[in-house]
Amino acid sequence: MSDAAAEIVLVEDSPDDADFFVHVFEKTGLAARLHILTDGAEALDFVFCAGRYAGRDPSCRPNVIILDLKLPKVNGLEVLRQLKADPRTRSVPVVVLSSSQEERDLVASFELGANSYIVKPMEFEEFSQTARLIAQYWIQFNQPPRT
Amino acid sequence: MRPAQQLKASLKEIDDLKAALDEHAIVAVTDPRGKINYVNEKFCAISKYSRQELLGQDHRLINSGWHSRDFMRDLWATIARGKVWKGEIKNKAKDGSFYWVDTTIVPFLDEEGKPCKYVAIRADITERKKAEAAAAHLAAIVECSDDAIVGKDLRGTVTSWNTGAEKVFGYAAAEMVGQSITRLIPSERLEEEQRILSQIERGENVRHFETVRVRKDGRPIEVSVMVSAIRDQTGRIVGASKVARDITEHKAAMAEIAKLNAELEKRVTERTAELEAFSYSVSHDLRAPVRAIAGFARMLQADFAERLPLEARQKLFRIHENALKLGQLIDGLLAFSRLGRQALNKRTLCPGALVNGVLEELQSEQRDRNVTISVGQLPECEADPLLLQQVFTNLISNALKYTRQRNPAVIEIGARRQDGACVYFVKDNGAGFDMEYAHKLFGVFQRLHREDEFEGTGVGLAIVQRIVNRHGGRVWAEGRPENGATFYFTLQDPL
Repeated sequence: MSDAAAEIVLVEDSPDDADFFVHVFEKTGLAARLHILTDGAEALDFVFCAGRYAGRDPSCRPNVIILDLKLPKVNGLEVLRQLKADPRTRSVPVVVLSSSQEERDLVASFELGANSYIVKPMEFEEFSQTARLIAQYWIQFNQPPRT
Repeated sequence: MRPAQQLKASLKEIDDLKAALDEHAIVAVTDPRGKINYVNEKFCAISKYSRQELLGQDHRLINSGWHSRDFMRDLWATIARGKVWKGEIKNKAKDGSFYWVDTTIVPFLDEEGKPCKYVAIRADITERKKAEAAAAHLAAIVECSDDAIVGKDLRGTVTSWNTGAEKVFGYAAAEMVGQSITRLIPSERLEEEQRILSQIERGENVRHFETVRVRKDGRPIEVSVMVSAIRDQTGRIVGASKVARDITEHKAAMAEIAKLNAELEKRVTERTAELEAFSYSVSHDLRAPVRAIAGFARMLQADFAERLPLEARQKLFRIHENALKLGQLIDGLLAFSRLGRQALNKRTLCPGALVNGVLEELQSEQRDRNVTISVGQLPECEADPLLLQQVFTNLISNALKYTRQRNPAVIEIGARRQDGACVYFVKDNGAGFDMEYAHKLFGVFQRLHREDEFEGTGVGLAIVQRIVNRHGGRVWAEGRPENGATFYFTLQDPL
């Protein structure tokens, strides 16, 4: 595990889904910072330390980016494409968490290099469990490269 | 010369002339009433009667009946007046065949100036008449054609012009015969004619050449042209016959069809795109608020349940249940709409294996129940395996659902031949349905049972129907209230 504090980035425009995630995340008791970004442009600024995130330390890489696909301004697939196309951010794990079960979204996501694709469960219990597992897996179990 | 010698010489001369005449002509002599007194060899040969059969007979023996009464009356009146009659006559031979003779009848008069005999000299013109008839027939065919049929010489001068040509190009024959065909050709296409003529001169025909010509009224028309060489009897190419068909309307119709097709295709593409955008948006946008409603209801239940009165907790429960139900409806609708778009992946397969898999998956629904399921012989078919599995899943899970109150529940899965097609069926002894509402069974969101009797979204059978239809088959059902239902389907309609 990295020495720096663990970080999860959630890119989610729906305040409801974001609230659910926060609700679940807080109950996990994981020692990690949760950043919530509400559109694709903000997500890109964050990962590339631009705009209002210009002061962010670029060496500080999140343990996982949980990415919704349907986002205002820049959509999730485009965020994913830019992220995976850049050597600085390519190795950051991206989990797509979307309402869409459309085959083309799955295909496009994996082609662009998504590390995982999860359909948001309709039922709250399932959603909670899924969110908890994602957070635990990427923070507690996954071993990212040091540099 | 002595008179006797003179006479002899004259007779010899007459004999010689007669011999020459007999060589050339058909000769007969009749009395004023038409009784045959003399026929030569040629007469016998052409009429196929012997001399004995002819002599003493009425000349009408060889009447063909082809000529009008007036024609015959005129003939007889002319010769009875002592005038020579000339004409072409059709006669009938002994065997019933006809022949044509070019005829000259010369009346010879007695002292009183009345005809005492008629000498008829004829020449056989049957072949010529046949050729004329054939030519007239051909001419009539050419004349009545709707296509323009035009003859021209090798310099492009028009030599013949049929009625079709008058209609197609607007010029009368009199205006065109003797004129250059280039009159019809738009200036920018004049070299075409030169090319066509040199092709013809080389002995090559031109087949279905589509081009533009100009009518007399100046209107350009699209024509399909065929040009063939005309040869004289020695085989020399002396001109060309051109058949031109006005294809302006045909072309316009084809263009219209192409335009309509393109429009239709465009519209289908647009509609498909719209539909896709719609279901994509349903997939994303409708599910999110449903999830939020269910989620917050659940959070309320989890975090505040003990602070809420019982009635509030019950209502909260119902909010949550309904949100989940809405979620199922949306998912069902999406699955249904995806089916219409997804490509069929057909292959030859054994439905038996699919059915076993489905029964395995549906094990949990048989738990704590007395269910007898029999699977008969299911013939091979051509189908998309995943979709056919969906059909059996939906039908069998329906059967399990609607037999819930039966002990034992009996479900039979099988196939039979009917009108040359293989009909698969799933039969149960469950709640059944009223045939009066059979037409509603396969509609989206159509249900024949109340939610509190049998839960469901009303999408399952609609999906079955859509899959079966996409395979080119048919689905139908039979049932009676409280007496079970049987669902039948075919995958291909027999031809």
